[in-house]
Amino acid sequence: MLEVSDLVTTYGKIEALKGVSLQVERGKITCLLGPNGAGKTTLMMTIAGILKPRRGSIKLEGSVLVGLSPAKIVSRGVALVPENRLVFPDMSVRENLLAGAYQRRDKTEIAADMERMYARFPPLKERREQLAGTLSGGEQQMLAVARALMSRPRLLLMDEPSLGLAPLIVAEIFDIVAALNRDGATILLVEQNAHMALKVAHQFFLMEQGRITFQGTPGQLAEDEVIQRAYLGTRRAAG
Amino acid sequence: MDDYLVSVLSNIGVISFVALSAYLLLLTGEISFGQQAFFAIGAYAAGVATTMWGWPLALGIAWGAAVGAACAVSLGIPTLRLRGLQFAIATLAFAEMVRILFELLRYQIEIDGELVGPNGSDGFRSIRYIFDHNIETFDFMMLIYAMLAVTLGGFMLLERSRLGVIFRMIGEDATLASLQGIAVARYKVLAAGLAGALAAVGGGLYAHLTTYVEPRAFDVMLGVHSLAYGLIGGLGTALGPLLGVVIDVGLLESVRLFAGYRMIIFGGLVALLLIVRPRGLLDERLVHRIGRLFRNTISGTTRTRREPR
Amino acid sequence: MIDIIQNTIDGVMIGSSYGLLALGFTVIFGVMRRLNLSYGPTVMIGAYFGTVLHLDFGAGLLAVAAAVVAGAVISGVYVERLCFAPMKAGAGIASMVSSFAIWMQLEQAAVLVLPRHTYPFPPLATGPALGIGPLLVRPDHLIMLASALLLAAVVQLALYRTRFGLGLRAVIANPIAANLVGVDVGRSVMLAFAAASAIGGVAGFLVLAVDQQVTPMFGMWATLKGLIAMMIGGLGSIPGALLGGLVLGVVEVHSHWLFGPQVRDLFAYFVLFAFLVARPGGLLGDAADVELSHRT
Repeated sequence: MLEVSDLVTTYGKIEALKGVSLQVERGKITCLLGPNGAGKTTLMMTIAGILKPRRGSIKLEGSVLVGLSPAKIVSRGVALVPENRLVFPDMSVRENLLAGAYQRRDKTEIAADMERMYARFPPLKERREQLAGTLSGGEQQMLAVARALMSRPRLLLMDEPSLGLAPLIVAEIFDIVAALNRDGATILLVEQNAHMALKVAHQFFLMEQGRITFQGTPGQLAEDEVIQRAYLGTRRAAG
Repeated sequence: MDDYLVSVLSNIGVISFVALSAYLLLLTGEISFGQQAFFAIGAYAAGVATTMWGWPLALGIAWGAAVGAACAVSLGIPTLRLRGLQFAIATLAFAEMVRILFELLRYQIEIDGELVGPNGSDGFRSIRYIFDHNIETFDFMMLIYAMLAVTLGGFMLLERSRLGVIFRMIGEDATLASLQGIAVARYKVLAAGLAGALAAVGGGLYAHLTTYVEPRAFDVMLGVHSLAYGLIGGLGTALGPLLGVVIDVGLLESVRLFAGYRMIIFGGLVALLLIVRPRGLLDERLVHRIGRLFRNTISGTTRTRREPR
Repeated sequence: MIDIIQNTIDGVMIGSSYGLLALGFTVIFGVMRRLNLSYGPTVMIGAYFGTVLHLDFGAGLLAVAAAVVAGAVISGVYVERLCFAPMKAGAGIASMVSSFAIWMQLEQAAVLVLPRHTYPFPPLATGPALGIGPLLVRPDHLIMLASALLLAAVVQLALYRTRFGLGLRAVIANPIAANLVGVDVGRSVMLAFAAASAIGGVAGFLVLAVDQQVTPMFGMWATLKGLIAMMIGGLGSIPGALLGGLVLGVVEVHSHWLFGPQVRDLFAYFVLFAFLVARPGGLLGDAADVELSHRT
């Protein structure tokens, strides 16, 4: 569904992405693993249009995304749940969700979707008039996911949804990811938490220092000795 | 040298002091719209000292610098916790208060049957030291530039010194700097005092150059101009603000062709310039590159080494 | 005692226009976190549009008002496109200095069009002051106050009840996140600028119609008043902008009455300075640092 080829993104003279290629299959959860500074967030930001790549291509079901503004990319059906959530702190939960549906004009459908979000994420319903900045970490993560879903994306990008959250909440978040996929969502998930990712993802890419160094199924990932030692040997602390 | 040129060059020299004053504060990360206040204080203080108290010129200007520094410190301390826009507006408010106070200031004594001294909005006339002591305008210009040269030398030293690094660190990220153990507050006050003294020296020279100062000359426009000079000329070196002054005063004086459209053209050019060079002509990157080129030429080698594969 | 009340009333009246100017400033500052030094001058260009219409074409009050707003919006968008839109993140100071350069440009352009020192401006309302007991209220002051309140209410509504307002608030809160939910940040900012200029235009029109004259100093005057009122009332707060304006107006009128015009200005600046030092967030704003250089 999503095809990234030889993507190069730079910060000034520094190449953060040195020619990245990956593919995301429709209806599956694809996980991008890798250590801090590998370039995972840079990749997500480039796909979302916030960063412009120097070279390479990004295609969503054949249509080119590179060069489009972030707003245009959202209109093509890509939604990013960013690292650190980035909820709008002085707006209520309800307004955050409305913001997620910014490009849509179908009022009744938007309202219906909001009810669906409240059903899927009960804590959000309870707090719907509360300011988003006052929510807990886990609740903000739910809100960020729900906000992204409000645009009815074809492809959902999630950048480290478990970052900074307590283990119990992390488990909840991954349950949500799995449930969304069961309901048909195509997800590109960036994670450092390999253990949890192994439980939900169908396809893995490993990114190190701006390059893809591994591609395979969960089974292949778990068997690879080098990866085992580096990413699975010790329990990784959050962040 | 013809009188007109001497006058323009002297002006450039004097204004450079205020520009450098604003630049110094910019290095520590603070935008000040108020350096013209210390320019004014230096002008009045030095003028009073030489004209009314009979002091020699050097002492008068030093006195102006001291008063300027003291006032700058007294502004710097209460505004320590202000950053960004709030700091900028606070300096603007302060400078305007100073200007209005000078509009209200009346301090005159009788000398040789004449009333001499600051007289409110009418300003301070007859600062005649230069003429009374038969100093040629050309010589005074040389004095201005001598002092400017010393100041520039000071800035060059500063750039290479630990103090200069500390200033730039504070300018980049004050929180980070304080986490490194730097007493940010102390250095900010120091910078404020130095900047105030600098502007005041310029003011003292200005007062004696023009022999007449009035509060209206020390308005917001002068303050914003001082800031703009650094931005136009470049923030990478102390020569940047100077370049800005030269471009503005020099170009503006000489482009008589466009008399009525001068600012329309100049303003548009500055806006366009800032799009391509937001840190000015001699910005940090350019200065760094020039420095490297210079060093390489002297040492005779290039610095890149091939990594063994 | 009567004097105090009368002065306070007058202060509130004139303060309402300061509040509007502050409102325009606040919208721009909230959206881009940068200072626009050309704000007053764009209002002045609008004022000159209106003046030309009034003098050369004998246009009526509403046409003049429309011209003032139109002129302010056109020049405001010009400033935004030239000084703010092309600047990358971190070039906040450059934007500010650029807007200063354009301030100079606009001022000279205005002087070329209308070279004399002052020009007459059509009056907002002619007629005697209304008496309410021992107090006097000028009808044009009343119109000014009512218009200011109305406009502020419209802005508040637009910001909190419309889709565009939601998008704008998202941009104010976090431009990147706003991008991610599909807001066209560049376009929103430009429209916000235009709206802010329009607000400034209305404010300028009201002030000039009460003053009944326009001078080239108006540009700087409008910038300073709007800026001071915004800082007193609190950055990023719409009710704060209005409140700041009212406070400024009241302080000015009282100090003018007691001490004369120069001390009046001195006091206004002193109040501003005191607020900044004691309460950087202003009356209603938040006290968070407002970085102008690196993050903007």
